[in-house]
Amino acid sequence: MSIEKGKISSQQLFFLIAGFVEASALLIDFTVGITEQQTWMVILAGLIITTPFVLSYVALAKSFPGMNLVQINDMVYGRFLGKVISLYYIFFFSMTLSFNIRDVGELYITFLMQDTPFIFFLIVFTATCAYAVTKGIEVLARISHLILVTGFFAITSTFILLIDQMDFSNFLPFFELPLIRIFQGIHIVSSIPFGETVVFLMIMGCMNKTEHAVKNTFFGLLIGALSLLFVAVRNTAVLGRTQTIWTSTSFQSIRLINIGTVLTRMDFVIGIAQTILIFFKCSIFLYVLVVAVSQLFGLKSYVPLVLPLAAIEVIIAATVFQSPVDHATITQNAGIIYSVPLVFVFPPLALLIAKIRGLPKVERGKGT
Amino acid sequence: MGKKTNFLIMKLILCFFMLFVLSGCLGEREINDLEIVIGMGVDKDESPDNILLTAQVVKEGIAGKSSGGGGGGEDRPFWNVSSKGMTIFEAVRQMTHKTGNRLFISHNQVVIFGNDLAKEGLQKYIDFFLRAHEMRPTAFILVAEDKASAVMDAKPETEKLPAINIGKLVKTYGFTSHFYKVNMKDFASCLMSPTTAPMAPLVSVIENGEDKEIYVSGMAVFKKGKMVGKLNEDEVRGLLWVLGEVKSGVIIVPTPNEQGKAVLEIVKVKSKVTPEIKDGKIMMNIKIKEDSSLSEQTTTENLATIEAFEKIQEATAEVIKQEIMKAFDKSRELNADIFGFGEMLHKKYHKEWKNLEDNWDVIYPTIELNIDVESKIIKTDLLKKPAAPNEGKK
Amino acid sequence: MFGYIFKKISYLSLKNKNKDMLQDSESGENNSEPISPDLEKNLEVIKDILRDSSDVTIHEFNFGHDRKFKGALIFINSIADKEEIHKNVLQPLLYGELLLRDKVDMDFNKMDSIRKNLISTAANVKVTLLSDLLDNLLAGSAILLINGSKEALAIKPGKRESRSIEEPGTEAVVRGPREGFIENVNVNIALIRKKIKDADLCVEKFVIGDKSKTDVYIVYIKSIANPQLIEEIRRRLKRIKIDAILESGYIEQFIEDNPYSVFPTVSNSEKPDKVVAKMLEGRAAILVDGTPFVLVMPLLFIESFQSVEDYYARPFFASVIRIIRFLSYIISTLGPAIYVALTVFHQELIPTQLLISISEGRERVPFPAILEAFLMLFAFDLLREAGVRLPKPVGQTVGIVGALVLGEASVEAGLISPIMVIVVSATAIASFAVPSQTDSGTVLRYIYLILAGIAGGFGVIMGLLAALIHLASLRSFGTPYLWPIVPLNLSGLKDALIRMPLWTLSKRPEAIIWKNRDSYNQGQDMMPSPYKKDNNDSK
Repeated sequence: MSIEKGKISSQQLFFLIAGFVEASALLIDFTVGITEQQTWMVILAGLIITTPFVLSYVALAKSFPGMNLVQINDMVYGRFLGKVISLYYIFFFSMTLSFNIRDVGELYITFLMQDTPFIFFLIVFTATCAYAVTKGIEVLARISHLILVTGFFAITSTFILLIDQMDFSNFLPFFELPLIRIFQGIHIVSSIPFGETVVFLMIMGCMNKTEHAVKNTFFGLLIGALSLLFVAVRNTAVLGRTQTIWTSTSFQSIRLINIGTVLTRMDFVIGIAQTILIFFKCSIFLYVLVVAVSQLFGLKSYVPLVLPLAAIEVIIAATVFQSPVDHATITQNAGIIYSVPLVFVFPPLALLIAKIRGLPKVERGKGT
Repeated sequence: MGKKTNFLIMKLILCFFMLFVLSGCLGEREINDLEIVIGMGVDKDESPDNILLTAQVVKEGIAGKSSGGGGGGEDRPFWNVSSKGMTIFEAVRQMTHKTGNRLFISHNQVVIFGNDLAKEGLQKYIDFFLRAHEMRPTAFILVAEDKASAVMDAKPETEKLPAINIGKLVKTYGFTSHFYKVNMKDFASCLMSPTTAPMAPLVSVIENGEDKEIYVSGMAVFKKGKMVGKLNEDEVRGLLWVLGEVKSGVIIVPTPNEQGKAVLEIVKVKSKVTPEIKDGKIMMNIKIKEDSSLSEQTTTENLATIEAFEKIQEATAEVIKQEIMKAFDKSRELNADIFGFGEMLHKKYHKEWKNLEDNWDVIYPTIELNIDVESKIIKTDLLKKPAAPNEGKK
Repeated sequence: MFGYIFKKISYLSLKNKNKDMLQDSESGENNSEPISPDLEKNLEVIKDILRDSSDVTIHEFNFGHDRKFKGALIFINSIADKEEIHKNVLQPLLYGELLLRDKVDMDFNKMDSIRKNLISTAANVKVTLLSDLLDNLLAGSAILLINGSKEALAIKPGKRESRSIEEPGTEAVVRGPREGFIENVNVNIALIRKKIKDADLCVEKFVIGDKSKTDVYIVYIKSIANPQLIEEIRRRLKRIKIDAILESGYIEQFIEDNPYSVFPTVSNSEKPDKVVAKMLEGRAAILVDGTPFVLVMPLLFIESFQSVEDYYARPFFASVIRIIRFLSYIISTLGPAIYVALTVFHQELIPTQLLISISEGRERVPFPAILEAFLMLFAFDLLREAGVRLPKPVGQTVGIVGALVLGEASVEAGLISPIMVIVVSATAIASFAVPSQTDSGTVLRYIYLILAGIAGGFGVIMGLLAALIHLASLRSFGTPYLWPIVPLNLSGLKDALIRMPLWTLSKRPEAIIWKNRDSYNQGQDMMPSPYKKDNNDSK
């Protein structure tokens, strides 16, 4: 039986996924250095490639109703192997969470508030995430549509404000870059924004009605990808050739907004939207991590684990990398390698095995 | 148990708040401790390898709204601080020896480079202005005819602060289109291109007796960061015709009966450049459509007839072609691709571009232009006929 | 280890102390004895209990044929309606024709026969326990005791001294009725009944408060309100154990959902039309005797921005005003925080010319910006508190002088910068536009100011996110607090931030009434138009 008592509706799942993917808007900077003006193609390709895998997550969740990932692993792979795989997932969740928390800290340290000590951002941010997680997934699901709207509003308004500085010939030489770089870009994009939706395997068990789950997941992914596309298009059109030199293309293109003398240096306003989005993403990650760990160890409630795990995450985030350069290099090269099995291999494999073994057997007596 | 958990929560919250207090002042900068910099100038210093950085800092109390004493006389609402260093960041920090506070360059409007520094090469010095998180990428970049510090000194009449005045001058390039505004991001973009030549407007100081006036006109042309030449006003306008960035301006053509001048104001410009590679020869097809308005005439001839219009339009088109050719000839002379033809070729023929890119310096002077200008007069303001006795009545 | 032992010991001792306290209070309740038939004994007991009150009047009299029956009338001089007692109780008993006849069939030792045949007031209650007798006596009734009867009659008073109905002091309106509730709970119920003349209007009575024995009524419309809501309210009221209920605020603080939250979950109002409008949406009202403030629950966050006047005005104006209220709430809570965050941490966001003006204004101020903001907010709250308590003739002058002194003189003296005065005045004015959230706004203002002073924009964002999470998880008697925005509900949104025309608002708020209730409160096609060619309408 799942630890989480709350229920979410499948419409809230749509907002959750869309907001989650949209929060990775700053993470496409990882690919911009590699794919330059063809980033938009890479995002579309990533979307197309990842969609079948995400739909397999939904199918897996539908065939094991009410159970989250750890329980599914237990059932499909057997007790021992299932726990090993769950541990692998837990490792992935905790690493990615610490990367994202570090991202927020770096965002502020580099652009917005340079003199504040780094660890301060990490602690305060994680504390707020922990507070959100203690309230449960229901609260996060309820505010998901607000967060999605905020993010979308920020993206479209900056897009509109920058239209006069856009030069669409910047997209022009199509297909100029060597294919190996495109493939690398597609790999990064499918792992980092889209592949991270594997965390929803822990949350889909909480849905109360699963009829429209497939439709909602697909549209959630689509809307999230659309916002990423907007961001990539805006950055390429505005910055043109220079987009490969900046640390963060989104921030730089927003700094160029100069309407009247009032709307200048809007980067903080966008920093606010980005903080809210990443807060949402990190809360979901922290929730998933905490529930996975408590499920693995058979605890009755996940609330006591929230603070210790959050503290551990802060420490990892503070110490794992030395600088943003480190962060970018390791994520681009190593991060996407260890996440491939988790995102692309295990869930479809589990679905296959479940179909072959005829799971789930209706075992009512096991105290579900 | 309620009491125990309450204590625990209290302790946690206390630790949490101590975090805020103990980590110092957390990056706050009181607003009256700021040295607000609105303009910066970089020159070559006497000592070799050093640069002289001049920063124009706002002096509060005089620059604000409630200026106490009328603000005339010796009181200037700004002061120019200067410091030396081997690189820009070092000079910026050295400034604190004189100001006592770090410079606050978030409101910097213009960056002016001295002539000598520009000739030596700007690549060394541009990095700070792009990398510093406080800088705005929308700050304008200019090159001084002589020394940047001299430009920063000239006190303007209608604005209180010279740097804001220079910024205003640059922004209003459209009235004559004799120069073009270039901000940091554009400059960096051109620097990054292997073929396009970066440019920056030129600013000079005109001594008018006691007063010094600032005059912005013409552009400096760079190649790989080094200034190699200048474009004068007509040449700049020729360049802008091709880029489609002419906003407004004045064209003077002789009237059909050669007795005087007709003055046209440019109202709208549309330009399209299509590169073409034919038999190994690169040809640029430039098509310009221009609308103008008859703003002044110096003769008594009645120009509001179809024939007169046609003749004036032809003459205008000819003037435009001349300006473009002047710009192109100058660019050929300097061997600098100011039009961005290289990038246009790259975008259209990216396979052939790989071969052309390396030899661009040799290929560029061989480019041919095919200019097609269509000019129209769309209005004549308030007068139909000049204020003169009717000539047509017999 | 010794510390541990010490703590254990002190814990145990505290536990025992509480037990003692509980026992003490229980010993006072020993009046639940029945009334004895012996009149003298009853009077002895009553005189003993009430010996310290000099306004208790005991009037013994004889009545009946030959004056052979003994009776006593007890009332409290200061609160009983003596005229009524004389006219309706004593007169019939002493001079009633029935009693003067010789042979009568009725046994006048039984209270019932006296009550049904002689007493000419209708509002009387039989009591058999001494405690009930005392309760009624102390509430203003006159007690009639008959020798030989185990029952006493408590005759309720008719009139009571109270204020007349006037315009409520705290909720003035431009358009709408100007009646307000008063302290007498029966008059309040009458005001509500005037507006809803439906049999479904239920009025349930509770008596709460050991010493004050205050009448508390729950009022709701049976066919609209959710029965689970009413059950929950009843349950919470029953568990209140307190000496006295002096105001509805006491009850509010005992029944609210989250006492640690800054945001109120129970609303109060002085206007009957507002309370009735809310009851028609499925809410319940609690009326407390002795206060004109009526509690209405559940409360949604969005209600703070709605006012009854919105519904009397036309939609465009009402929508604009609502949006203005919303914006002023944001200004009043976040105003000083944003000012401090911008000028201390994020000066690059301010346009250049404004930055120069601000820094010039702050030239002579010795304090850091946060301290300055804090001082000004504190001064403003001080002024507001003082203004409420000033006697009326002095109030106006002191208010104006205070504002002038604090504003002008402080700027001149170099204590505050002029822009801070503007920011705080804007905040202050904005805070009065949303009256029901003034208390939460005041607390939040300080919290956000501290957060902004410590961590600038980041602190404010985190504070806002934490507040959002808290609001999203708060429930008011089972309804999510941020409905209809947070569990998104499109029909509820029609009345949230803007006010769509009345003829579109045909559904009651779903979260309050639950789905099994009648959710339409209007006909379907109510849009007005000049001429309708209907098949069935031939007017």
